[in-house]
Amino acid sequence: MNPWFLCGPLSARLEDGRILYDGVTVRLAEGEFVLLEGPSGTGKTTLLRAIAGLDPAGGAERILAGRPFPGPALPAWRARVTWLAQDAPMLPGPVRENLAFPFRHRVGRERRLDEARARELLATVGLGSLPWDRDARDLSGGERHRLALVRGMLWDPPVLLADEPFTGLDPVRARACRDLLAAWARRPGHAALVVLHDPDLGRGADRRLVLGEGRLHEKGTPA
Amino acid sequence: MIHLGPLDVLVATGLVLLAGGISLALRLGIERRLAWVSLRTVVQLGLLGLVLEKIFALEHPALILGMLLAMTGFAAREAVARSSRRYPWIHLDAWLAIAVAAFVVGGIVTQVVVGARPWYSPRYVIPLVGMILGNSLTGISLCLDRFLEHLDARRGEIELRLAFGATRREALADAMRASVRTGLVPIMNAMAAAGIVSLPGMMTGQIVAGAPPLQAVAYQVVVMFMLAAAGALGAMIAAVLVVLRRTRPDGSLRRDRIGNEGRSRA
Repeated sequence: MNPWFLCGPLSARLEDGRILYDGVTVRLAEGEFVLLEGPSGTGKTTLLRAIAGLDPAGGAERILAGRPFPGPALPAWRARVTWLAQDAPMLPGPVRENLAFPFRHRVGRERRLDEARARELLATVGLGSLPWDRDARDLSGGERHRLALVRGMLWDPPVLLADEPFTGLDPVRARACRDLLAAWARRPGHAALVVLHDPDLGRGADRRLVLGEGRLHEKGTPA
Repeated sequence: MIHLGPLDVLVATGLVLLAGGISLALRLGIERRLAWVSLRTVVQLGLLGLVLEKIFALEHPALILGMLLAMTGFAAREAVARSSRRYPWIHLDAWLAIAVAAFVVGGIVTQVVVGARPWYSPRYVIPLVGMILGNSLTGISLCLDRFLEHLDARRGEIELRLAFGATRREALADAMRASVRTGLVPIMNAMAAAGIVSLPGMMTGQIVAGAPPLQAVAYQVVVMFMLAAAGALGAMIAAVLVVLRRTRPDGSLRRDRIGNEGRSRA
């Protein structure tokens, strides 16, 4: 049976020729909240970038809900499989623009930013009092990461690829954001693949994929 | 027109010596460099004068086209030398941008506006195209520099847009706008100051040579517009070529084409 989401096989090498990972295929089922784990330097960020098609991925196949996305369809794929970068980058300009810009791209023009939902989500992650006209580059690291997470959920693609989305948050806030993202993912037509370092936050994930020694292993569902 | 002889040029040399004297007196330390660039000016312009005399005398189209091509080559080299960032093929791209801008705009000005007869009449073609080259090389090098800097320093923003489904054009629109605008700053400044702060060089030359001032003004306006058009066209072509070389059709950045990159990723 074909998985709901498939991307692979993916391979990556370091500049010195050492193999980072080889022939890795990532599969997700609908409604899953999946962790991507592994020691530092095993290529988790590289793997997420390759899935998002920001680095060349050789002859990798990309399938979502039965539809293949060949090379020329990469922008359409990225609109559906959206990567949240590790450093939570922001466009220069106000918070409002940073939430709304995806809806100005051609791919998002039929939809509009749901401001009520935005306020609701921002309040949930503890940014309820954040002024929307503030320059997003003046935010702290923790604020940027939460804003980036909210932006991803407002865009509401089928799949979010989140690279350490809870960086710079205290444990209570981090757990609240984890719960929010998990609930977001566990819906029909959605899924999330998340890189996390804190094992505590990873508890309660539906599956855990471990990248190590060049391969992707499945780890038993944690108790 | 008042003829300048060797003695007159010698008197002007005295003026450079005056500048050198000031440098010595104030210990500015630029007297050697001043002497060197003065010598270069004399030798380079002297050689150009000799070549132009020959070319004007022969009036052969192939010779003139060859001269123009050589000039575009030098201009492209200079444009790349002034840019602080490089990539493979940057010389070819700079040359394409400069050559297309110079030949398209230069062609329209010399053939349609000025109406040079014969079409290759070197008295018009060479100085006018030369002015385009001199100006557009500045604009193109600024544009290249700004664009490459943007791709490096603001990669996170570009990839952020891509991550939300932006096409190549959408993701790079900011970089494109900023770099072409930067490339056009010098000529826009020159146009804004023309006639108020400065008498442009070509107009000055024509007036000194005895042309009626209004005629000189008409020429200068044509030249300014020509430079603006060539600058915009050249900068735009340069920016498009950078996009084609440094990004893939899906918009992702070709990091392998940057010399000083390769930071490791966890």
